[in-house]
Amino acid sequence: MVKLKELIEIEATYVGNMKGNLACAGCGLNLALRHALAALDQHALLVVPACCTSVIQGFGEGYGINAPVFNSAFAASPAVASGFARVYKKKDPSVQVVVWAGDGGTADIGLATLSGAAERDEDIIYVMYNNEAYQNTGDQKSGATPPGAVTTTSSGEKRPSKSVSRLMITHGVKYVATANTAYPLDLYDKMKRAYEEFRGHFRFIEIYAPCPAGWNVDPRYTAKVGKLAVETGYWPLYEAVDGKITLSRQGRRFLDPEKRKSLEDWLALQGRFKKIKPEFLEALRQDIDHSWEFVKKHMAE
Amino acid sequence: MATTQRQIDLLTGNEAVSAAVKQIRPDVIAVYPITPSTHIAEMLAQAVDAGELDSEFVKVESEHSAMATCIGAVAAGGRAFTATASQGLLYMAENIFWAGYGRLPMVAAVVNRALAPGWSIWVDHQDTMAMRDAGWGQFYVKNNQEAYDTVIQAYKIAEDHNVYFPFMVALDGFVLSHTASPVEFLTQEEVEEFVPPFNPLFRLHPSEPMSFGAISKPDEYIAMREDLMKSMERAKKVIQDVNIEFAKKFGRDWGGLIEVVGPEDAEIGIVTMSTLAEEAEVAAEQLTKEGMSTSVTRIRSFRPFPGEELAKQISKYDIAIVIDRAISFGNAGQIYIETNSALRDYDVDTKLIGTVMGIGGQDIAYGDIIERVKNLTKKA
Repeated sequence: MVKLKELIEIEATYVGNMKGNLACAGCGLNLALRHALAALDQHALLVVPACCTSVIQGFGEGYGINAPVFNSAFAASPAVASGFARVYKKKDPSVQVVVWAGDGGTADIGLATLSGAAERDEDIIYVMYNNEAYQNTGDQKSGATPPGAVTTTSSGEKRPSKSVSRLMITHGVKYVATANTAYPLDLYDKMKRAYEEFRGHFRFIEIYAPCPAGWNVDPRYTAKVGKLAVETGYWPLYEAVDGKITLSRQGRRFLDPEKRKSLEDWLALQGRFKKIKPEFLEALRQDIDHSWEFVKKHMAE
Repeated sequence: MATTQRQIDLLTGNEAVSAAVKQIRPDVIAVYPITPSTHIAEMLAQAVDAGELDSEFVKVESEHSAMATCIGAVAAGGRAFTATASQGLLYMAENIFWAGYGRLPMVAAVVNRALAPGWSIWVDHQDTMAMRDAGWGQFYVKNNQEAYDTVIQAYKIAEDHNVYFPFMVALDGFVLSHTASPVEFLTQEEVEEFVPPFNPLFRLHPSEPMSFGAISKPDEYIAMREDLMKSMERAKKVIQDVNIEFAKKFGRDWGGLIEVVGPEDAEIGIVTMSTLAEEAEVAAEQLTKEGMSTSVTRIRSFRPFPGEELAKQISKYDIAIVIDRAISFGNAGQIYIETNSALRDYDVDTKLIGTVMGIGGQDIAYGDIIERVKNLTKKA
């Protein structure tokens, strides 16, 4: 694993998302972008559908991302990226095409396009930064919104959230990983591994990216909320190679429910769960249990 | 040129298009099957599989993704091709506009087919007419030879730095796509000499980080759209020049923007497009024999729209009948609307009558056109 000191040095020499971009205070996705781009060693070409990243990159000269960005139609990114990847495969194989998309663009409107690119095993790293609702347009419910979370279009729902990572594992995607902005070293390593070890294949990384503005969280707690998502067992950290899951070192112990921290304490930090009803809380617990059952079932021997 | 031995084959419209595309050798071909354009995808995929064609064939999961893949390919500096029809073109629509407004030159063959509901797999022009404002050039061809020639010309025109926007080559479903007629090929050397390698004005690459399609302020947005409008204007000359160069080299002249067939001093004009125009040529000949001197003015380039050339030609007629194969509901056929506006722009007072024929695949023979022209001129 990369050392903290090393990551600091790498990010001091190459800044992927520059100062003065338009991210909100405490933005989780902005951290994710910084670490991800650092791992890709200035070879990344980003394809970005409508999402917070379309906004935070800013406009005009001196825009805020130090990498080429193609802004695509909402549901089109994996296919646009396929076109880039097919041309650069022959013309310049050093280019790593990356789709950088939110949860709405991935779990909802872009799901068929994602499925197609995954099935074709396109040479793309797909990053879904999950801030669990349509945050760019102001926190509307998406397919990835967890049970009980209040959004501007829902007062909390019982249905489990749609896990695109699990869907990608069952799609037969070569490399699937979950990551979290509160674990930058783990995130960096996974991006690096996807880039260096599984080149030529479709790779999918889902990053938990807290959204203080949308979740009604104090911006200083972005890392804390992210860390607790892992420590409560809500967000298992793993890698799956050819469908076989290996738990990541930093989150491995939370396989044991006894080691997990209090779900209620974590929810209390987030305004969106402030008045969570008991039946929604129960649905959230069941969703967590379900995701661990899947992990256990697909764990490498 | 007479010394060059060229191959002549009996080809359907779909075969003619795929033959041209094989010689153009795009970097990326992304196609989703839809009747009546499917054969184009099949033949190109088979050519790639057989190693005859060194293109990346992307078997996408939708038309929306077919166009998106072409968009990515061109933004990477590659040459791209797709083919579709009807609902497929409409499903692509969001990305059709993205490619047009994004100034990504490529060629799409659109096999014209009516829109549902009721399901109809047969020809009319409602599909491409729905895309007329997408920032694409639109050619409508009258036969399979022109389909072949126009695909080749369209790449040369689209990739010209004075033009630099994508083009559709529209051919009538079944009437052309599934009907064979003789097509003369250019040699591979001729195609490569006529259409030089794609020299992109810009491409995205990590060596020079920049953003494509970021948030744009109104003044920037307006500047981009004005530039597209100016490029459309410039394209008119490029289309004519390319047509002349093609005619000189290969002996076939499709008229450039418009094609006029019939007596110079015709009193009646039939203004239409595609296979209806070729059918109208027979009708005009017959009408002229009967004493109603008639010629056909065929619009080959609907975008850019040749308003000036049309007005000039129509000013020679006493009366002109515009036949549309599509309708702008609540108004009239699109060719009629736009031709009418061109006559006003250029102070032409020729009597213009619009009529709609052949939608939903209704078979139109020259006799039907003769009858319609007689009825309409009688009333006028």
